[in-house]
Order: sequence, then structure tokens, then C-alpha cells
Amino acid sequence: MFPWVYGFEWNAGYLIFLGVFFTVALVVAGTVLAALWRSFRTVRKKQEGRVYWHTAFEELTPEERRCRHAITGELPERCCDREFDCRGCRIHARLLYSDEAAAHAAGSGQAEACGVAVPLDRYYHRGHTWVREAEDGTLLVGLDDLGRRLLGADGTVETPPAGAELRVNEPAFVARRNGVEARILSPVDGTVLGPASDGEALVRVRPAEDFRTTHLLRGGEAVAWMRHELDRLQVALAASCGAASLADGGAVAEDLGRRLTAREFDTACGLAFLDV
Amino acid sequence: MVDRIDEAWIARGVRRAPFSRFLLWAAPWAALLLLGAYAIFLCLRDGLFHTNMDNRYVFGLWIFLDLTVIALGAGAFFTGFLLYVLRKTELKAVINSAVVIGLVCYSGAVLILAVDVGQPLRAWFTFYHPNVHSMLTEVTFCITCYLTVLLIEYVPVFLKNRRLKWKPSMLVFEYHLHKVMVVFALIGTLLSFFHQGSLGGLFGVLRGRPFAFREGLLIWPSTFFLFVLSAMAVGPSFVALTTGLAEKITGRRLVKNEVYQTLGRISGKLLLAYVFFKCLDTLLWINQTAPERGFPAHRFYEYGGAFGTWILFAEIALLGLVPALILLKPEWRARRGLLLGAAAMACLGVTLNRFVFTIQTLALPTMPFDRLLLYWPSWQEFAAFGFVVAYGMLVYSFSYRYLTLFPQERELAMTEARR
Repeated sequence: MFPWVYGFEWNAGYLIFLGVFFTVALVVAGTVLAALWRSFRTVRKKQEGRVYWHTAFEELTPEERRCRHAITGELPERCCDREFDCRGCRIHARLLYSDEAAAHAAGSGQAEACGVAVPLDRYYHRGHTWVREAEDGTLLVGLDDLGRRLLGADGTVETPPAGAELRVNEPAFVARRNGVEARILSPVDGTVLGPASDGEALVRVRPAEDFRTTHLLRGGEAVAWMRHELDRLQVALAASCGAASLADGGAVAEDLGRRLTAREFDTACGLAFLDV
Repeated sequence: MVDRIDEAWIARGVRRAPFSRFLLWAAPWAALLLLGAYAIFLCLRDGLFHTNMDNRYVFGLWIFLDLTVIALGAGAFFTGFLLYVLRKTELKAVINSAVVIGLVCYSGAVLILAVDVGQPLRAWFTFYHPNVHSMLTEVTFCITCYLTVLLIEYVPVFLKNRRLKWKPSMLVFEYHLHKVMVVFALIGTLLSFFHQGSLGGLFGVLRGRPFAFREGLLIWPSTFFLFVLSAMAVGPSFVALTTGLAEKITGRRLVKNEVYQTLGRISGKLLLAYVFFKCLDTLLWINQTAPERGFPAHRFYEYGGAFGTWILFAEIALLGLVPALILLKPEWRARRGLLLGAAAMACLGVTLNRFVFTIQTLALPTMPFDRLLLYWPSWQEFAAFGFVVAYGMLVYSFSYRYLTLFPQERELAMTEARR
């Protein structure tokens, strides 16, 4: 025992002192090694995306974590505690079939919020992507109008290759413009089939077997959310860059990204795509 | 171009000064750091004759600095304990800052100890030849272990930098390390408890120095417990004070008022407990311990000047009881200026306490033929002291700029913008 300690003696002083010290050292080393081992397993199982969203969600402000039912006014002040995954949420399940929810969900055609188009034929994700079912049963995934305007004509979106697995709320795309990068979250579980050909969507996806849309926004709810998002964006830009607010009745510019300074664009991108 | 690169490392949604202004802020500290580095180099190369310490005055400015920064750095372990063990979740808003403060304080203390002890190449001797009956050995072991723990606690804060987060493996490691942080919080508490105590015990066992010697419990003199309690009391105050200063310097709100209130309330309660036990200890020392050693207590204060009775009054009443009462009264605590003023007084109180034990203890004569010994540090000692201060300022400034020290900052900025 303790052969490396010069002059070690078998007495209480040495045993207690060195025993405590080496126990502490072992616990510290063991805990770090355990964290390293868990990290290794997480990376091997390709669960980095889940970890990414977990930590990113933690960093959102209470305003950014507002529950979809708080945005529509059904449950004012409620913050989401399920990382925007409503599929297992009991409150959401209960409200899904309420009259109020039905009124929000109803709608067809095209709506708009401050000039931002919100087509009602699709489902929206809180990270500004949308999903629409194609006639062949596959899913089309794209950027919503605000995301598109934000990136502008100069912006690019890096899409995953065919065969890549997508998981809800995990980074799927990377938006780039003038050296600024932001991760864009996937709205669905599924496998990428390839780029979409309709010019509007980014990729075509084969949905996973248990594919559901309960975590996505639609209809009037999506319009209310878009208004909330525009408000949030303006406030965040004013807070971090001192940017001017949108005048009442004003509309969001078509190529919004070009009108923002590099810093404003960076902030707006991160906030819109929930990549803080 | 430089600004673009700099901004890419700054968290989204928070405001920071332009890079040029940040450099202007950092430049004087860097200059002080260089001067300190030169002084440290001289001391390590040539030995301690560059200092004004001698065989009689073996503890000087550096040990005083060590004791003080370690006491103030207790905010790290105690905030961690309150957050992870006692679940005071509102302190999540300052835990990262507390970790950086702790890291700066402890690494600064270890560095200055290394210069003081000298012969850094033989630093491992203390682990290979431990004298298990020495308080100093306990201090060395605990401080080394706790510095390691603080470095580990700093890793998740560091890995949360915006650019580093893009590396999935780093993000995953940060996540898993954060999940086991309660283990480090507990170990940190254990280590910090013992070495804060051992630092106090170090003076309490000085039988040849009746000014510092104290009775105690089993092998631990009362100073063991008083050092622990005082460090726990001022730790939250120092965290509140640094946060307040950071808010003042940056001109931004960094934490919600409830965080200040919690820190102030906890600090106030512990400070009052400390003042109570310190009074008991002082009375016992005046009436029993010192006379039994042949020194009526008033003899220690008859030199006046820097070491007069005022020091006892200032330490216990002015910088102990007064801030404790301010921090305990909700109406007074609610006023930010009063709260931070009281926190500053509490920190000054513990600084004065460490000054008394380090400097006054050695200055006072112990033999009939002795005289009061006065000591003034050399420029190298001041410069090395400045090195630690500059190092702390730079580490904290860089951490504030590029890491998320105050998670509530973005939310508060948005709330203000909404107004």
C-alpha cells in the first residue's frame, strides 16, 4: 500500500491522511473517466444531435421556450419543458382536441404575418422549417418564408446526403451566408431520399414508421407563432445589436439578410434557427 | 477582419465591446502581468533575497494574499454546494462566474505559493515526502486536488464557447461532464472545507505565538472552524460583489435581482454566525488563552498605529457585524448599493482577518528582548502580487467575453429591449 510515498508507516496518521487523499483522487479520476466513456458511447451511437438540442434548449430564454399553447393564448405564461417535442406531452394531447385548438388548426390557403407568407397546407417546426406530405407518401422539408428571407439570395443551405437519417429537433441542415453559419433543426424523423425537385423544398424524406405531426404547428397556430417569432427577432436584435424595430404595419423585407449588418444577421440567424 | 473573427467566438444574442476597446482594457493588465512575470522570474532564479522576508518574517505579502484569495475564492465551492447539493437553483445564474473566480483565486494562490516555496522542480517532494502531522501538508494536498477539481469544473464552461460547440465530441463531453458536476461540487466542498480549516489551523497551533494560538476541539484549534465559517460567509458576498462590478464595468444587467438577494441573505446569516463565534473565541482568548501563555491580551495592542485595538473593532464590528446586519435586513438588502457595499465590507473584513493572522502575528514580539518588527514588501513582492491580480482580471475578462458566465444576460437584455 502506498509504496510510492517515501517513509510510509502503518499508523493511523498516514492511513487516514493518505487514504482520504487517494480516495478523493480516485473519485475525481473515476468521474472524469466515466464522463469520457459516456461521451465515447454517445458519439458511437450517433446521438450527438440529441445532446446538441438538449443543451441548446437549456440555453433558450423563457420567452424563447414559450409553449405553443401560450403563443395562441390557451395557456398564457406556460413554458415548454419537453424541448419542443409535443409528442409525449399530456397537456398538448389534452388541448389538441379542444375547440380552441381546432379553431387554430383549421385553415387552408395562404396566410401572412407582417408580409411573411404562411402557407396553410403544411406543418411548421419551431426552428423555421416546414413539412408537407407529397402525393407519393414521402415528405418534403423546406425553410419557411422567414428563414428564406433571412438567408436571402446569397445564402446557401447545406443539406444532408441521400440516406442520411433525420431525427426531430436534431441538426439536419447548415445555413451559410457571408461566413456566418447556423444549424437548422430537422422537423421530422426519417431518411433523406435526396434533394427536392419542386424548387421550394430542400429535401425529400421517407418518413420513419412512427412518423407523427403532433409536435408541428399548423393553421392559425402557425400564423400566431410567426407573429411571435417576428416580435422575438426584433426584440433580440434591439437587445444585442441595437437594431431598429419594425414600424407598425411594416412588412419584412424580401431579402432581409442583405439589409442586416453582419452582426445582426448572425444574431437573427441564431435566434430564428434556435442555434444560440 | 479581426472584428469578424472575434465576433465568431462571442455567444449569439449578447453585446460585447468592440475588440479594439477590449484590447485597451486588457493592455494595462497585460503590462502588469509582464512586470509580475519578471519579478517572479527573478525570485525563482535567484531566490527569496529579492523579497523583504527573512527568517523572522517568514510570512509576508504573498501568504497574506494566498489566505485572502483562498477565502474569497470560497464562493466557488460554496455556490456549487448551494446549487448542486442544496438545490438553490437561482444560483445557476452565477455558478459559471463563481467557478472562474474560484479557479483564478486558487491557481493564483498555487502560483504564488510555488514562488514563495521556490525550487519548483522539486514541487513533487511534498507529495512524496508528506509529513502527515503538518497542517501545511493538508493545505498542499487539498489545494492541489481542489485546483484540479476547479479546472475540471471550468472545462464545461469553456467547452460551451460558441465555436467549440460546433465540435460534436466537445459538446457531448461537456454535456456528460456537466451531468456529474454534483460529484465535483461535493468533493470541492470537502477539500475546500479542510484546507480553509487547515490554513486557519496553521496559525492556531503556533504555541510560540500567543497572539495567534487558540484552544480548540480535539486536534483542531478554533481558528480551523473560524476560517471555514468566514470563508463560507464571504464567498457569496464576493460572488455578488464581482457580479455587481462586472455589471458596472460592462454597463449591462447580468443577473436578476433575486440572485443578489439570495447571495446577500446567505452571506448575511453566515456572517452573523461567524461574528458570534469570533466574539466568543476572542473573549476566550482574552480571558484565558493569552493570559495562560503569559501575555495579557492588551499587551498585543499597546504598540498602537497599524496594530492598535482599532483593528479588533474594525474586524469584528465594523466589517463583520455591520455588513451582516445590512445583508440580513430585507429592506436594506433590496437596495443594490447597500447590498454591494455590505458585500465589499464583508470581503474587507475577511481580508483584515487574514492580515492580522499573517502579518500582525509575526510582527508582535514574543520574547522580552524582542521588539515590534515592521515589514514592508519589496517591489518584487508587490509585482508578483500584481501578477496574480492582473492574471485574474485577464482570465475573468476573457471568460466574460467569450464564454457564457451569466446565462441570464440574454434574457435580461431582451427584457430591457422590450421596454
